Amino acid sequence: MTSVEEAEPSGFQRVVLTNASPYQYLKIRLVLEDERSRLSDVELKSFIIAGLKSLHGEVGAALNFDVLKYDEESLTALLRVYSRGLVKLWSSLTLQGFYQNQACAFRVLQVSRFTGISSLEEPLIYLLFHVTQKKRISHFPHYCHPLP
Amino acid sequence: MCADLSRTPRTLLVCDRSSFLDHKNRVSSQVEQLHFIYKVSVLLPECNSASSSLDSVFNSFTSFYLIRKLPIYELLDKDFLQSAVYQGSVHGLSFRTRIDEDNCVALMPNGRLTLSLDKDSFELLGFEGKPSRFNHRSCSRFEVSVDLTDSSMAPGGRGYLRLLTGLKSHLQLQTDFLLSHHPGGGASLQALLSRYDWSEHKPKVSRRCLSNLVCPAPRSCDPHSLLEWLGAVDADVRCENSSSSFLSSFVCPEANTTLGHALSVSVSGLLLPHDVQRLIQELSSLSWSPGCP
Repeated sequence: MTSVEEAEPSGFQRVVLTNASPYQYLKIRLVLEDERSRLSDVELKSFIIAGLKSLHGEVGAALNFDVLKYDEESLTALLRVYSRGLVKLWSSLTLQGFYQNQACAFRVLQVSRFTGISSLEEPLIYLLFHVTQKKRISHFPHYCHPLP
Repeated sequence: MCADLSRTPRTLLVCDRSSFLDHKNRVSSQVEQLHFIYKVSVLLPECNSASSSLDSVFNSFTSFYLIRKLPIYELLDKDFLQSAVYQGSVHGLSFRTRIDEDNCVALMPNGRLTLSLDKDSFELLGFEGKPSRFNHRSCSRFEVSVDLTDSSMAPGGRGYLRLLTGLKSHLQLQTDFLLSHHPGGGASLQALLSRYDWSEHKPKVSRRCLSNLVCPAPRSCDPHSLLEWLGAVDADVRCENSSSSFLSSFVCPEANTTLGHALSVSVSGLLLPHDVQRLIQELSSLSWSPGCP
């Protein structure tokens, strides 16, 4: 649901979007029994897809998600998934127990509607300066708040 | 079953676009309400470096303190209340306590003390509270919220003594605690700090120069995509993925331009709204020309 207050001559515009967040973002860490083991980003994504297939079948394995960022040293990744696929992805991560015969666990560190994951469930303000004909304009999506 | 699996959290996004001089611009009033700001990130397009005045604002964010193993009843200490809480000059948050598992404590500048407790701790404390609004089916977390400046919580009063006894004898709640004071209010914390192991921390400032940054057009970009792109730049996420890429399909929203260079600066720590306001004022008063400063 969207409501828009139209741009006035002064240039003020407000857009209100309810329940329209297309993506959810997860920050996860893979913990392996052998702490020296490492996976490449492609291996990690394949492993998560295998987990989706094992819990949710072929349809689950077709769930599209992105590995936005990956740190091989700490086995920490930032994932993006459609909001409607969050529960399926999260549940398959939780129930993954083994990687190549060694015990493993996915720690879901943070889940957020925003890519700038650093804190959970906080009102968030982003400020962007845009130069248009030498005017300084603030354009900020703000007040992103979880609803009970 | 299928309906449950595709259920998503409800969200609200309000996006304002205006000049800072516009009377409807609410950025200052919004920032004032945020007591626990962890990070402020600024993206300056077509900039190699920040001006000296902007740099000095970044470097002058107020320090904060970390107190190890603070017994929470100390926040009800009479001297601390008189010198800090009643003046509205201090706020704090329990450190490394997980909101879904541990007991968490927050102290607001207006004197409101909020405890988020699990069921057993709430019952041990023996003070009135209510179930957390984020509970799902069963009541597993409870919130106790008291206004320390209210007459019912004056030292020596019934409410005060009940909460003090609960925190001191029944529950004995103790956590690492982050504490911040408003400018000029540092002296009020010294008595409390002297009794425990504490350390002072300066907010961390980090700068990144970005080159050939693909940037969406803010006017034509929808708010969710713009917010996603901003977050991706801040998190240093790769925005150029081909459609056949296995790992990620994330790309910069259309229509876009390429900026030769840009500066991304972020400050993180327990930040004061006052310091963020100073930053916003400095940014809005910059004389702007490509190349900065």
